[in-house]
Amino acid sequence: MECVVQGIIETQHVEALEILLQGLCGVRRERLRVHEICLKSGPNLGVVPSEVRLICNLEQTEPTWTVRFIGGAMRGAGAEQLSVLVRTVIESNASKNVLRLFYALGYKLDHELLRVGFAFHFQRGTQMTVTVSSVNKMLQLHATDEAVPVTPGIQMVEVTAPASSETYTEVALAVSSFCEYLAPLLHLSKPGISTGVVPTAAAAAASLMSDGGGTTL
Amino acid sequence: MAAMEGVVQNQPPQPLQQQQPQPIAVERLNDAVQQQLNLKAVKDRATNLFKAISRILEDLDGYARTNTTPKWQDLLSQYSMVNLELFNIVDEIKKVSKAFVVYPKNVNAENAVVLPVMLSSKLLPEMEVEDNAKREQLLQGLQNLQISSQIEKLKARIDMIGAACESAEKVLADTRKAYCFGTRQGIPVVPTLDKAQAAKIQEQENLLRAAVNYGEALRLPADQRQSAPALPMHLVDVLTVGDGVQAFSEASGMYLKNTPVSSSNLTGQSPLMQVSGSQLMGRSAASPGGTNITNFDNTTTSPLPYANSPRSSTTIMNTPSPQQQSQQQKQQQQQQQQQQQQKLMQVPQHQQQQLLAQQQFRQSAMQGLGQLHGQHQMQFSPSLGHQQFQGRQLPSGHVQHGISQNQLNPGSQMNRHLSQFSSAANSALFNAAQTTPNQMIPNMSATMSSQSLLPRMQFELPGNNSQRSHSSQILNDQMFNMGATNTGGMMPLQQQQQQQQQQQHGSQGAFGNMAQNAQNLQSNMVALQGTPQSHANFSQQRQQNQQQ
Repeated sequence: MECVVQGIIETQHVEALEILLQGLCGVRRERLRVHEICLKSGPNLGVVPSEVRLICNLEQTEPTWTVRFIGGAMRGAGAEQLSVLVRTVIESNASKNVLRLFYALGYKLDHELLRVGFAFHFQRGTQMTVTVSSVNKMLQLHATDEAVPVTPGIQMVEVTAPASSETYTEVALAVSSFCEYLAPLLHLSKPGISTGVVPTAAAAAASLMSDGGGTTL
Repeated sequence: MAAMEGVVQNQPPQPLQQQQPQPIAVERLNDAVQQQLNLKAVKDRATNLFKAISRILEDLDGYARTNTTPKWQDLLSQYSMVNLELFNIVDEIKKVSKAFVVYPKNVNAENAVVLPVMLSSKLLPEMEVEDNAKREQLLQGLQNLQISSQIEKLKARIDMIGAACESAEKVLADTRKAYCFGTRQGIPVVPTLDKAQAAKIQEQENLLRAAVNYGEALRLPADQRQSAPALPMHLVDVLTVGDGVQAFSEASGMYLKNTPVSSSNLTGQSPLMQVSGSQLMGRSAASPGGTNITNFDNTTTSPLPYANSPRSSTTIMNTPSPQQQSQQQKQQQQQQQQQQQQKLMQVPQHQQQQLLAQQQFRQSAMQGLGQLHGQHQMQFSPSLGHQQFQGRQLPSGHVQHGISQNQLNPGSQMNRHLSQFSSAANSALFNAAQTTPNQMIPNMSATMSSQSLLPRMQFELPGNNSQRSHSSQILNDQMFNMGATNTGGMMPLQQQQQQQQQQQHGSQGAFGNMAQNAQNLQSNMVALQGTPQSHANFSQQRQQNQQQ
């Protein structure tokens, strides 16, 4: 399971967000370049198509593949009160043959996207990951080198934290309290709920980017 | 000063009359004098008290030694005297220098000894050194001056630091105002976006969120779904295998590779083997019967020209894929540790050759499952076709023989064992297998007679494959072709198959692939591993068989 929130930020403020995150997380940022291939199962595997995502991390010299299944989100009154989305996620590392395997099983390519940006993995009450990336689409099949952003002026920010059915409340709390620190720059919400941009983003970004001034003692 | 007034009358020679040094003198000196006086007095009184107490203690001691009853009245009066004296001392201290005197309140036998150390104001040596070092640091450059100027300089330093802090605060406040963060007290001024811009951004946001979460706007229309001329690095070797992106079927696991079964120790009573036997029968029954085991359909209909397909040329088949090879190596290492039934593992050379021959044969015969006559079709590994694999005698025409009997030539043993089967038992098993395809057939031993039904199979199977003994697992496994039969007996035997390693290359590979494709092998493995006794049974049975 994981707790997840998403938000958007204008591309011009991404650098300021990075500075803020650097200060909040205390770890070095990691570059992110991920080719995400979303597969849908064919009719031979059942009436209801299932979806599986193959994530290829292109950042290292040796690309690593991960299989990711995103399950349904938690429902109910309790889930509505949470400000984060709690959903089942099953992830596993895989070899590079995973794509062939899924094709062999009957899965078909549904869509693919390329995320380029950076990520922070840190601990703040619980393990958390913040990714800021521009989502790019490919005009030709698998042409990752010629990917263009879906929305050039806006980038996607995602905060995820792994959780279990016993710990999700604490994790949700940790995630939402972390998100409050990002409030000057962006608002984060459950995936699917739009937030708009934050009006103070420009000022906050400006202050983060400037060196602040100060007298010497 | 409190110290000044603290002089109590009942103090012994109170040198208060001693003239105080000039009042204009430094405070410190005055204090010091006072302290000096009082301390001396207090010390004297304390010493007296101490002497009195020790006297009393001695008396008590005497009483104890002579064992006489002390005069309690006396003792009590002495105690009260001592008590009063102590109280007076403490009182005095309080009046004199309550600011900087510490006296023990709760003394008992435990801490009496340590109290003087704890009360002493002299620092521990380390602490003293530290203290001195810090003082040095602070007064660097100032020590040569007079004390007053030292104080002045230190004060100046403190003032400077204070001023710096204030200016920093000021800067922060100014910046806050400038960037409209709002002061703690005031109402923040929030800049707003104009409507058009907000709408545009909203639209973009929806687009982005939909793209990330649902894949909208990312799907290529069908006509554009051709691969780019140059695939990116990470997809180059993944996709260009030559058999097309969508149609590729990873067939390596689906076919029986050269499974390394040289001899089996399965005996009739072994539940594992019996299960596998039934599974075999069930499996083979399905194919000709056309029941709904889809994996058969897969195997029968998958196209030929795949590199890993066992149906392609035999040469390719016999070359284990790298995966298989690594699997083999692992398994070889595992097996090298087992020595229990080595004798059972001995497979004569000619039998092994036959094994290879059978493998090739088998591959070509994959298609016609259920056709027994003349076609030495083995659905499972050639090991099953090994001459020692017995007990596969099924009602001909109905059930796929696990072994193409004709191939098991050095078959004198085989024939003998085969004859032990009663067709009744076989058909019973077969029917049972058919009706309960997805369940473990529990009473295999019951259904099978006490004959040594199961052939003596020696498997050099990797651990993964042993997991396949679970009949439901096997029957459901799409990739399964051979595993069922072997897995029953494989598990216990796998440990002993050192000798078979060379010949069993390909077979091991097959298992490795199958294992990869199966998902719940783990549970089966556990189940299997819980039957070590069958192993023993095997050996026993085998011996029995031999004797027969």
